[in-house]
Amino acid sequence: MELINFVEITPLTAILLILVGFVGGMVSGFIGSGGAFVLTPAMMTLGAPGIVAVASNICHKFPKALVGALKRNKYGQVDVKLGLILGLFAEAGVLFGKQVMTDIKNTFGAVGTDLYVSAMFVVTLAIVGGFVLKDYRKLKALDAAGQGDEAPELTRLARWVQSVNIPGTMIYSKGAQARLSVLFLAPIGFATGFLASAIAVGGFIGVPAMIYILGLPAIMASATELVIAFIMGLGGTIFYGLEGVVDIRLAMLILLGSLFGIQVGAIGTTYVKDYQVKFTMAVIMLTVLFSRFFYIPGYLAKLEMIEPLPETTLSILKWVGDGVLALALIVGAYTVLSALLKGMKEHKMKQAMLTRTEVAD
Amino acid sequence: MIKDKSKLGSALVWGGLTVALYWLLFHYAGGFQTLAHTTLDACAVGGEYYNNATAELCAAENGTFIEGRWWYVLAPIALAFALSYTHGLFTGLFWDLVGLTAKK
Repeated sequence: MELINFVEITPLTAILLILVGFVGGMVSGFIGSGGAFVLTPAMMTLGAPGIVAVASNICHKFPKALVGALKRNKYGQVDVKLGLILGLFAEAGVLFGKQVMTDIKNTFGAVGTDLYVSAMFVVTLAIVGGFVLKDYRKLKALDAAGQGDEAPELTRLARWVQSVNIPGTMIYSKGAQARLSVLFLAPIGFATGFLASAIAVGGFIGVPAMIYILGLPAIMASATELVIAFIMGLGGTIFYGLEGVVDIRLAMLILLGSLFGIQVGAIGTTYVKDYQVKFTMAVIMLTVLFSRFFYIPGYLAKLEMIEPLPETTLSILKWVGDGVLALALIVGAYTVLSALLKGMKEHKMKQAMLTRTEVAD
Repeated sequence: MIKDKSKLGSALVWGGLTVALYWLLFHYAGGFQTLAHTTLDACAVGGEYYNNATAELCAAENGTFIEGRWWYVLAPIALAFALSYTHGLFTGLFWDLVGLTAKK
């Protein structure tokens, strides 16, 4: 038999969860799909086992994704057919990933899932954070050269994928404005779902894959990702719910803050340049990566995979990990809010100047 | 502070519904936790729930064996949908009320 404890929710824990949700939502609204990555580590820091944190994060996200997808579909930004097909394969990935997580829980206990989730975070954030940082430098250079608003060309890989014709497997994608083989969609969807089941964020694979491999414009890729997120989130909640690890209190407290934050973040993006968003994303990702890194020795010691560590060393490592995560959240909140307030102030000044000029004319 | 009073009524309605749903969740938090832990066969021992339970293993621990019901999983899903909808509408109206809007 396996004991899975839910976190005790005191008034302080509740306030912290709402605050974390607010900052997570703000970051999510600011950097787009995949922003909820700060929430899983934060829930784990507050004491939730890795499997419960991932399951509850998935549960809080899927209805939000549905609302977002419906809203953006009105603006014609969603490739519904592509989203549904990728979502179907993502569901298979979620099911497989959930099985991996459950096997780890049954073999090593809740600490095993802590280690698995943390390791997946470190690897994923290192790779994605590195790419985003590279993208930031490129965008900043283009902006400095006055070419920041030009649409990027299709990658060589996307051009090749769109040129491949395998009879019986082709579908037309409105987003890519090309015919694509389902054989390319299957691995992308599966990997997206697998990652979502491990860290509750599949968009790290789904969005870049749609842009760089399938050739969708960025705005359609992030909107279509919402369809995938809804399908795999609903499936993930059912699969994890059947394992008894979805803590609805945790999920809904995060949601309480997150829905306030997500709109602040989304409004913030209208006042800043693309490269500023990328910079924020890279900084938060790399900081969260370091915070998880400090917990890993403690998990390894608990699982007796390394020599036992002295209590003081464990406390210091946990303290540093908590501190670095708090720093990531503060940096995220500060960056988004300062960009928003500065942008609003500049916009108001410009509007006032325009009005004065019109009156003078 | 309030910049657009026309939305105040709707904001209060959706805000009220959201508060009611959160009250429901936390008033019956114990019940929701029991539902979450008993989607699979479980064993209750001193207020804690063990997964992967069988009647024999549970009896050996002096616990109460609970037969799982898969459809209990629908409870968090229904609540998540309802709260996302009401709270989503409320927060949108809230930021409109305080005048935080996107750049036009």
